[in-house]
Amino acid sequence: VGERRRPSVERGAPVTISFDGRAVRGFAGEPAAVALLAAGRPLLGRSIKYHRPRGAFCFEGHCGACLVRVDGLPNQRACVEPCREGLALEGQNAFPSAELDALGAVDLAFPGGMDHHTLMTGSHILNAVTRKVVRRLSGLGRVPDRPAPPAAPGEDLAVDVAIVGGGPAGLAAAEACARARLATALFDDQPELGGSLLADLDGGPGRAAAAIAGARAAGAALHPGAVAIGAFADDGGVVAIATADRLVRVRARATIHATGGYPQNRRFADNDRPGVIAARAAARLLVRHGVVPGERVVVVGDQPDALRLAAALAAAGATVAGVDGVRERIVGVEGARAVAGAIVEDARGARRTIPCDAIAIDAPAAPASELWRQQGGAVELRPAAGGFAAVVDADGRGAGPGAWACGDVAGYVGPRAAAAAGARTGAAVARALGGA
Amino acid sequence: VSRKIVVCRCEDVTEADVVHAIERGYGDLEEVKRYTGFGTGPCQGKECHALVASLIAERTDRAPAKVAPFTARPPLQPTSLALLAAADRDDEGAP
Repeated sequence: VGERRRPSVERGAPVTISFDGRAVRGFAGEPAAVALLAAGRPLLGRSIKYHRPRGAFCFEGHCGACLVRVDGLPNQRACVEPCREGLALEGQNAFPSAELDALGAVDLAFPGGMDHHTLMTGSHILNAVTRKVVRRLSGLGRVPDRPAPPAAPGEDLAVDVAIVGGGPAGLAAAEACARARLATALFDDQPELGGSLLADLDGGPGRAAAAIAGARAAGAALHPGAVAIGAFADDGGVVAIATADRLVRVRARATIHATGGYPQNRRFADNDRPGVIAARAAARLLVRHGVVPGERVVVVGDQPDALRLAAALAAAGATVAGVDGVRERIVGVEGARAVAGAIVEDARGARRTIPCDAIAIDAPAAPASELWRQQGGAVELRPAAGGFAAVVDADGRGAGPGAWACGDVAGYVGPRAAAAAGARTGAAVARALGGA
Repeated sequence: VSRKIVVCRCEDVTEADVVHAIERGYGDLEEVKRYTGFGTGPCQGKECHALVASLIAERTDRAPAKVAPFTARPPLQPTSLALLAAADRDDEGAP
């Protein structure tokens, strides 16, 4: 099936997709960015200002690294766009193509960055010209080829418990609430339920299937592809959910925030080069999609997740080098359009380059606490926990009466502990609402 | 390509841009966001918010717990305007 693919997963029918006019083989249903990476093509487009080469990083529909034009629609995430026969992707912000972008020179013109407040402000005329040029050069895609299809009218939904997030914590909470005969609806922004379990090297996809089956059997309504786009504290805590074709206003007696966390990058030169991906993305590629991100992979990090990933990639036949990020740090990347090496530095300042075609960065996932904050929940910046973690008690209770949080959103704990926290919070919510 | 440490990919904001803003006296996330534009792109801070927060804590020598997040405004994910246009108006809600 190809040198980066492994026969470890079931795949859909073979299909042909295209990127900037070139045919690429994929399998029906797998994300387009996965098919492209498996074909050794991590480059997906150019960046908004400097036209730097860009490729997918998180592979879970959260960061903004993999935006492409899909069948004439701009700014679609290639990492969640399913492959089907004839799917046509185009790299954005590039002329003539993402591979050979003539505007990449903008990057060289501003080596340190750009302060647009003082960009050529010495002269009115020069400033006006500069603004005009910059506006032509920068931007995010072109407008769609055709008008959007009409959406269905908005809907209202009232439930006992609304759960946002369909990973280990959310699914466990849903099962506990539904078992207590509470009307329970779970919403997940991804096309496929399971969250971080789908990237868990320890049998995650199987455990995701079991957790989904458990929640469904208990009677919870599970909605994948349902994105919580906002919570409105001044309107009784209503949560707005965007589905593929309509907006749903959800009112619940209790909202459980099981939104997990977002993979994070580290700070090093050219950390945005295509082929630099999150460690969790590499794990997801392996266990969910049967793809190794490269033939030679550098894994950065000294935590158990990073060590497990390095071992799993090696077992899958990749050549793996570990950089612990403590005694030896990654400081840069070789390769103009895609990763060709990792530049690392030891404690004495000695540098060496490790040749590779992928770099997997492990760092604690940043708690996805925006919706929680919108419902009035408190957060605290805890760098070791990944970022702004929801502040809750042992049961997941926050400051407000109807808002609860569990799992990685309260600080990174990983899928097993998140599932336990979800079950605990689900049971506490059932007690609080007087479930059966 | 030039060597840049990118902290916000969506808006091409570099570590140097953030440090420059801090040096100009913008010391919290809300101010640095407004000055550099970090966190205002399609991902709305999912990749950069925590990273820049840690950078600010480091550079301003503040305890992390003293760094407040920026305000997260809806929509939290890119949303088709057609969905919003088709939803009926909620005249009873807050203005």
